[in-house]
Amino acid sequence: MKPEINIALMNAAQEILTRFSPLIEDEYEQSRLNSWGALILISAMKLNQSYSSLVKENNSIINWLTNTKQIYSKELLKEIDLIQVEEGLEQSVLDEQNQLLRAILVKAHKEVDSSDDIEVKRDCLKLLREMHSHRKVSDLIGLLQQADS
Amino acid sequence: MESNKELSSQFISYYSKFTNKKLSLLSFERVFGGASRETFRILVKDETGSEEKLILRRTQESSLIETSQSTEYLAYSAYQGTSVPVPAMIDINEDEGTLGAPFMLMQQLDGAAASPFTPDAYSPHEEELGEQFWSILGEIAKKDINDDFIDQFDNATEDPCWKMELDKWVEVIKEDSISIEPILDAGIRKLYENPPKDPKKKSLVHGDYRNGNFLFKENKITGILDWEMAHIGDPLEDLGWALSPIWSWQDRDKPAYLLDRQASLSIWEGSSGLTIDKNDLKWWELFACVKGMAIWISAGNEFKTGKNVDPINLFSPWIPGDIHLEIILDILEEDLNET
Repeated sequence: MKPEINIALMNAAQEILTRFSPLIEDEYEQSRLNSWGALILISAMKLNQSYSSLVKENNSIINWLTNTKQIYSKELLKEIDLIQVEEGLEQSVLDEQNQLLRAILVKAHKEVDSSDDIEVKRDCLKLLREMHSHRKVSDLIGLLQQADS
Repeated sequence: MESNKELSSQFISYYSKFTNKKLSLLSFERVFGGASRETFRILVKDETGSEEKLILRRTQESSLIETSQSTEYLAYSAYQGTSVPVPAMIDINEDEGTLGAPFMLMQQLDGAAASPFTPDAYSPHEEELGEQFWSILGEIAKKDINDDFIDQFDNATEDPCWKMELDKWVEVIKEDSISIEPILDAGIRKLYENPPKDPKKKSLVHGDYRNGNFLFKENKITGILDWEMAHIGDPLEDLGWALSPIWSWQDRDKPAYLLDRQASLSIWEGSSGLTIDKNDLKWWELFACVKGMAIWISAGNEFKTGKNVDPINLFSPWIPGDIHLEIILDILEEDLNET
């Protein structure tokens, strides 16, 4: 089996940070190269999860919209009913679908916010947090600091 | 894009003429970071052997935040000789012919800036630096501003301060967004639905007052930098921005990695002579996240469209962008729990 892309990126980042960067005397160029090393490292850490995170996020939005259907306006319901669930999509198609779902979710959240149902409001924020946790890279901030030092 | 060598040679020729001295260049280094202007640290020597340390800030062809150079110059000038430490200004030049782009020249202050993402950057002087950091911000808010001064800024409108600022940043988000962010959308809605009161006293707002934007040497703050987003507005705007947990992400109980929140607020109130309205401050803290998001989104757009592929424009939407979305969620949840 060939080495995976993320392993290749991790090694590239390590070489940039420990081998090439120390050779550069110009402070600005060295800092800029270190930043690239750190960003490649983050990319390597998140590469394997990017597809599955998108699938999980799309599914979470669809499930939530379906489960809370009873509270939406007729116009929004029409949009929700048009959502199609397909499997095995390419990442670019999943991304497009994600943007459509996010647009519907924004409208749904507005309607939720104008209702008096605290529990649904709370659930909606929970969904947003779950979506954010699938995507975020800020948990790797410590890694960036290590790379920088 | 010209090389540093070409620019440094243009610079020494310009500055020799400007000072009417025969100068030689000892060093000319670009400083990493700072997305709105290219910054260079310069050392020159005259015929008598006397050395001068300078900072050159040059407008970038494609900058993260489109800001007026004259605004920054005006703000620096306003605090010359006051208790707010700022570098002495030497020149502002709007002519692209001299150094390839408009620029400002100022004296270099002692001290160094730290990254806002390094938790122990100010150790072991957090208390002394914290006292100065919040007190200086109070001094900025306290400064008397008159109509003539306000007129020099190009943002004077009849709208309340909050609306003027929120509209401006929401417009940036609309123009530069490359994806739909439901969390950000919810944050913006919340801000429009529950606006703060207009301040009793308008102030000169720094616009980016935070850890990372000041110079310090051991236990002393030696300079407040990066005034390019300065404007007339609500003094709570700077306070909300400086308090934002993004600037102390790994120790959120200690804003700016300096002092705890209550101590910070007390120092600011003492120094500014103003009383904080908790609800209004809360609004400005949420606003800080939306403004931050506008800046990170703008950076991401620069990177994605290839206008400026500086790694800072990739880092900004990835890390600070993520953090600000998380803070918006925290605020929305906290609000809901209070109802």
